[in-house]
Amino acid sequence: MLIDVSSDQDLLRRMLGGEEAAFTALYRRRQGGVFRFALQMTGNVVIAEDVTQEVFMALIEHGSRFDAEKGTLASFLYGIARNLVLRRIEKDRGSEPVEDDFATDEDVLADLTRQETIDQVRRAVLSLPPAYREAVVLCDLQDVSYQEAAVVLDCPVGTVRSRLNRARAMLAQKLGRQSAAARVL
Amino acid sequence: MSGDDRILPALKALAEQDSTKEAPAEVEVRLRAAFRRKRRRPGLWWAAAAAAAAAVVAMIAAYSVRPKPVEPAQVVIEQPKPVHDVPVVVSREPEPVKQAARTRRRAGPREIVTDFFPLMEAPPPLDRAALVRINLPASAMRTVGLPVREDRLSERVQADVLVSEEGLATAIRFVKFQ
Repeated sequence: MLIDVSSDQDLLRRMLGGEEAAFTALYRRRQGGVFRFALQMTGNVVIAEDVTQEVFMALIEHGSRFDAEKGTLASFLYGIARNLVLRRIEKDRGSEPVEDDFATDEDVLADLTRQETIDQVRRAVLSLPPAYREAVVLCDLQDVSYQEAAVVLDCPVGTVRSRLNRARAMLAQKLGRQSAAARVL
Repeated sequence: MSGDDRILPALKALAEQDSTKEAPAEVEVRLRAAFRRKRRRPGLWWAAAAAAAAAVVAMIAAYSVRPKPVEPAQVVIEQPKPVHDVPVVVSREPEPVKQAARTRRRAGPREIVTDFFPLMEAPPPLDRAALVRINLPASAMRTVGLPVREDRLSERVQADVLVSEEGLATAIRFVKFQ
């Protein structure tokens, strides 16, 4: 498979001109990030799949609304994904809460190679309030810059930093509580 | 050990585990179909078809007005194989539906069309296509191997070009009015 080295903006321009190959290249380049963002925000593969499809449908229908002066195309896509995800979280609120219980008899973070440990971390992230969860998912899991995250979250960079610090502290508390309990025992 | 020192490696491990996760292939299939539907919408689709037809006219006209060689070789022209697998045409130029227009058409000359002749060696599969009526010199008929008398080469004839949804002119047929 040939890899298209064109910039996102160039691919978008060609896509808006009707070139399917440009759309396909853009989709293949960006779908992974969008899908993982939705998956890590919701913990649900089906929702992540729906969100990914809706994000790129929005790009097909309204791609001309992208403004390069406001941010990158990636942040534009994450922004659409974020709105869709928050809508789903709001809709599903209360129906299936993520358990805030990480009870275990050993240090949760001791062995990061274990699947069980990673699952614990995933559940801890999912249990964060959405405003903190999205900061962690974007900056720590998706490796998005603070600047870009600020565009996606529509807030100042300082707010991204403070939410991220708070989110990490909450995670440390959630997971560390169990570790401390294990040490006492 | 600070909270971040313990949490960041844990988040990194989670990110690494998820790094290969992607949307299933069906999503791409559905989106590409949606993209094609969007591109096919009236206006853009017909603009593309008209452009393709115009390109065919230019190509055939250019070919048919090439200067003849001084001593043409004796060539036996094999009757070209017509296209048989012509798809159902699902979209056409919008036609007026007024009764008066229909009556006039009934009273007018009857159309007789040839088989379709391929314009491409390996045409793409045609699920949908458009038929575009064009007007071009009779000499163009020779480009697909149809016989035309010398004294009628400059006369204008009508033809239908079959345009794929990608905007490619795939086949042509000629129209005669009786």
